[in-house]
Amino acid sequence: MPARARPGVAVSFWEFVADRWNRLAVEALLHVSAVVQCTLLAAVIGVGLGVAVYRSPLGSTVATALTSAILTIPSFALLGLLIPVLGLGVEPTVVALVLYGLLPIVRNTIVGLSGVDGAVRDAARGIGMTRLGALTRIELRLAWPAILAGTRTSAQMLMGIAAIAAYVRGPGLGVEIFAGLTRAGSANATNQAIAGTLGIVVLALVLDGIFALIGRFTTSRGIRGE
Amino acid sequence: MTAAVAQVRRAERLRLLVQPIAVLVLVGGVLAWAFGQDLDSIERQSINAPALASATRDHLVISFAVTALVLVVAVPLGVLLTRRWARRAAPVFLGIATIGQASPAIGILVLFFLVSGLDGLWAAVLPIAFYTLLPVLRNTVVGLQGVDPALVDAGRGIGMSSATVLRRIELPLAVPLILAGLRTALVHAVGVATLAVFVNGGGLGLLIDTGYKLARVTVLITGAVLAVGLALLVDWLGAVAEAHLGPKGLR
Amino acid sequence: MASEIELIDVTKRYAGSSEPAVDSVSLTVPAGEIVVFVGPSGCGKTTTMRMINRLIEPTSGRITIGGTDTRSLDPDELRRGIGYAIQQAGLFPHLTVAQNVGTVPGLLGWGKARVADRVDEMLDLVGLDPADFRDRHPRQLSGGQQQRVGVARALAADPPVLLMDEPFGAVDPITRGNLQDELMRLQAELRKTIVFVTHDFDEAVKLGDRIAVLGTRSRVLQYDTPEAVLANPADDTVAGFVGAGASLKQLTLRRVREVELSQAVTASVGDEPAEVGRRLAGSGHEYALLLDARNRPVSWVHARDPRQPRPVGDSVSLQSTLQDALEAILTEGGAAVVTGARGEYVGVVEMDAVIGTVRKLRDEHAAEVGT
Repeated sequence: MPARARPGVAVSFWEFVADRWNRLAVEALLHVSAVVQCTLLAAVIGVGLGVAVYRSPLGSTVATALTSAILTIPSFALLGLLIPVLGLGVEPTVVALVLYGLLPIVRNTIVGLSGVDGAVRDAARGIGMTRLGALTRIELRLAWPAILAGTRTSAQMLMGIAAIAAYVRGPGLGVEIFAGLTRAGSANATNQAIAGTLGIVVLALVLDGIFALIGRFTTSRGIRGE
Repeated sequence: MTAAVAQVRRAERLRLLVQPIAVLVLVGGVLAWAFGQDLDSIERQSINAPALASATRDHLVISFAVTALVLVVAVPLGVLLTRRWARRAAPVFLGIATIGQASPAIGILVLFFLVSGLDGLWAAVLPIAFYTLLPVLRNTVVGLQGVDPALVDAGRGIGMSSATVLRRIELPLAVPLILAGLRTALVHAVGVATLAVFVNGGGLGLLIDTGYKLARVTVLITGAVLAVGLALLVDWLGAVAEAHLGPKGLR
Repeated sequence: MASEIELIDVTKRYAGSSEPAVDSVSLTVPAGEIVVFVGPSGCGKTTTMRMINRLIEPTSGRITIGGTDTRSLDPDELRRGIGYAIQQAGLFPHLTVAQNVGTVPGLLGWGKARVADRVDEMLDLVGLDPADFRDRHPRQLSGGQQQRVGVARALAADPPVLLMDEPFGAVDPITRGNLQDELMRLQAELRKTIVFVTHDFDEAVKLGDRIAVLGTRSRVLQYDTPEAVLANPADDTVAGFVGAGASLKQLTLRRVREVELSQAVTASVGDEPAEVGRRLAGSGHEYALLLDARNRPVSWVHARDPRQPRPVGDSVSLQSTLQDALEAILTEGGAAVVTGARGEYVGVVEMDAVIGTVRKLRDEHAAEVGT
């Protein structure tokens, strides 16, 4: 860091970041890796669940209703409920993140798949595709923008929820926020909270940008809105 | 997409029916279970009717104060941002609100607490309101932008002033979306209000925190389940409001 | 109850474009007449109309209604005194039909009971049963019904002036025809000053007392009666817009009662064939028309075969247009039977009479242009 004087808080915050760079970088990495891995796991399970139920009107109605309802549950309450079952640390964090991450993905998979024009589905079967072939080569490709949008929403949400997971000794930048809280009044409390919060905002925006790029390059040109 | 829309509608109807029953069973069950336990003196300090009622009341006060604040700020702001002379500022404000929502709720709460020096109710309400602003702001803007320009033209053409067009044409037509945004905001607020305990704001998070710190699982579970029940209940009330408060000609 | 509208050198220039959108238009809309602005899309006809009620403010020039400069009035007050009907009706979807129609009287501060009475009166006027339609929402109406409500809303405060911007543009052709007929019936009763914008020349011919054919930048290419525009387009642009079949279109402007009718040889249904033959013999006609006891046409008989009558197919009334008459002439083969108010025989119209009328119209307007 250049020694040039900058106004009050800003200088000391950047000094703080420079000072603890190694620790912050590790926490950031843990944060992102937890979110990305849980999002991927949630995507696999979520799309699977969506595919399993989308052909049954009752099944998809119940699944859509259930996922929207579970989404309203406060994440802190869910983490609390998991403590007696799974204890502290990585396990409750992963379970909570995957469970929340599932919901937008399941919902969007069902909505995306049921939005596929019936005539397209008929045509696929009509030219001799197997049911699996039609699903993987036609239906899932058409539903892909919706599925990807759900996954993107999940990732954004998990970024914030992962911060709360520090309460149950989960990894990530939430550790800095809670540390700042417990040391309220001490010299670096605010810096810690800013570092944790800002770090998560930056990570969230970068991850969102990556999702936007993935969307650009993986969406069939015929159904791209632009 | 009509099949997909119908799908979502059916799911909404199912929730309208089942959700209140689920809440009753869940909350009734956990209360019966908690009060049926052989409670020690520490647990009895948290698990008694007045303490539970006061935690729930605090939680609701925070949630509704947040929603009221959001309503008072976001709807007028949304109206301003859709006026012709301010239209260019809309992406800026929506961008700020989007970043606000990309930030972790707990981080915003803790930061505001540390920086402002406030404590208690307002230390919880103000940051949560900032965090929850986006859905209502976005839906207000989208709702107003979605009003057919021909209707605004017709209104002006038959002699309504721009204020009358806003009040009698644009806002009523945007009500369904604004309501949907408010419902989302309220549910968000109930969720984030569980974190108010960290800034001494009370609420049901207090029971969870107490149970965790003092290793009293009964207290923890009671607090968590009450929070879940409250969120589901508030969401259900929002759904009922959406179904009945929108303009009749649009339903 | 109608006012003259005068546009004097009206120009509209938008910031950032070199050409004016409307360039120095001067035009007088006589009180109580329908003037149709017709022209290709994008020519500025709607802009010109919207400057009359100041939805668009002119850059320069003056517009007066009944002698009053529109700029001297508050724009909202001005618009409450001008009926406004637009494409797809622009009904407010969250309000009932009655609330839509009662909007302007409400803005003018009428009492509730007076507004309610007026709403019922207006719905009756446009042919919708108030008891049935009052409490419906626009979504529950057909396109044609919505347009009727739109017209009722425009007329509700009894404005002397009415602006209509392609009000029938979004309905099917049959409904459009009905709505046009309805508007003409209303206008015969109300005698408002109406400015009507359309890109459909046939609609302009049918509805307009006068037509203003507008070119780019809303330049007035020709401003005259439909007859004159059809008979004598001012230039090639107008001629192109009038399109093929100008003579046929002219026939829609003339009624059977305006042409000279011929008389056929007639006989009663009960007459002996020999008697019919005797009448035809000296007349120079080949066919005789048989009438019933109340003098209504029944069938044609040929002189050589008086026992084989051919029923009268297509007949026209005195109110029919010459286009209808021509259609009947072609169907019947030579002449069409014309009937009076109670269906009684009054004469026949022949091909020569139709041709003569078209020629006369053309000569009249050619003479006008020549002077």
